Amino acid sequence: MTQDVHTVKVSKDLEDLIPTFLANRKKELDTLRQALTAADFEQIRQIGHRMRGVGNSYGFDNVTSLGKLIEDGAKASDRAGLETHIAAYGEYLSNVRITYE
Amino acid sequence: MSDLATPVRNLAPQTAFRVLVVDDDPDMAELLAATMEAEGMEPEVVSDGEAAIAAVAAAPPDLVLLDVLLPGTSGFEVCRRLKTDPLTALIPVVLVTALEDRESRLLGIEAGADDFLHKPVRREELMARVKTLRRLHETRRELEAQRLAAEVEHKEALHKALSRYVSPRLTDRIIGAAGGAAPFRTEAERADVVVLFADLRGFSRITETIRVHHVVDMLNEYFWVLTEAAYQHEGTIFNMAGDSLLVGFNVPFAQPDAPARAWRTAMDMVSRFAPVSAEWRTRFGVATGVGIGLCRGEVIIGNIGSPHFMSYTIIGDTVNTAARLMQMAQADEVLVEAALYESIRPLVPAGRTHVREEVVLRGKSEAVGVYSVKL
Repeated sequence: MTQDVHTVKVSKDLEDLIPTFLANRKKELDTLRQALTAADFEQIRQIGHRMRGVGNSYGFDNVTSLGKLIEDGAKASDRAGLETHIAAYGEYLSNVRITYE
Repeated sequence: MSDLATPVRNLAPQTAFRVLVVDDDPDMAELLAATMEAEGMEPEVVSDGEAAIAAVAAAPPDLVLLDVLLPGTSGFEVCRRLKTDPLTALIPVVLVTALEDRESRLLGIEAGADDFLHKPVRREELMARVKTLRRLHETRRELEAQRLAAEVEHKEALHKALSRYVSPRLTDRIIGAAGGAAPFRTEAERADVVVLFADLRGFSRITETIRVHHVVDMLNEYFWVLTEAAYQHEGTIFNMAGDSLLVGFNVPFAQPDAPARAWRTAMDMVSRFAPVSAEWRTRFGVATGVGIGLCRGEVIIGNIGSPHFMSYTIIGDTVNTAARLMQMAQADEVLVEAALYESIRPLVPAGRTHVREEVVLRGKSEAVGVYSVKL
């Protein structure tokens, strides 16, 4: 199966921050998966809320939109929906490409 | 949320405008800090509410960018505390929040936030708001500096004017008192005061034999010496008429050592005037000296006069007694009422005192004991 490459344009002056930003997103993904296994919807909601705030601030629109879906899914305890969104988040982080401008 | 790593940011050189960034999300905190730094500002980052309060107390910033959902003390509470403390109330606070509901916005307004910024943060919008608040803050600081400078100038002018009438330290206390001239109460009152009356012996000879413009210069020189002595010991000058000077101690501020102050003033007046007197003798051939009367007792203090001309002064038997003693005193002699003399006896040089005849004042049946000290 071919996976899409997601290209994100980031301001040049944020370049120093991006490696840590992406590393934190990957940690976040692991935490989301563990929290879903534990059905810890409150922790998932908090992470979704944070993704919503931080994603677009760095230029990662998809992190914000997935964060909103995850936050809403956690509020509704929608396990199936959350599985889909968290999987989409993993796919996105694996295939995101960054250009600085 | 604390498991996330903090991005490494290249530090910018120090600038004057300091921004405190408060966010428990290290990515968001560093993004805000990097944005501030790119604009030449000096950011400091903390990750919880109590750390924010401590950072503001340690070094007040020029602006606070404050997340709302913080561990422990919330951003609303931090904002409320900063805005209710007079020392920090003027620091602009921008709440940076992903909360979009109306209730959160109302809570922010109630907490006193100066502005709101929604997450995700648009950097252009962030900078536009920060720049606006920076301008406002700097304008407010400039106005405050101008107001303070004007206040200092006004006080200096007032100090200069008042210092012609009362001692410099008394002037400081009057200007520093809440409500301005608080020591000079509008209603008369009674108080225990040590009164010093001084005048110039040989003055009538001066006015008869010396040209007018010399007389004025001589009087000014004489009063200069006496007022310097009075001010040195923080006496309050109430009256200057002809060649006599009325000084009060323990008024309008309490001076527990008022008798000692009055005595030292009398000694200083005589010793400071001695060289002046010697010079006058050489230049004009006149014999002069200072005669002083000292008395302690109750006086009435008040603003006495008409709406057109008013004096803050002291009146009563104690003042009259001091005036009478002054009239009786010879050159370089201090006449001290007996009760006051007892309280200054240890200060009086040995062998200079003798008991004078008792004085009966007009309208009084009892005589007053008097000690004479020749200086």
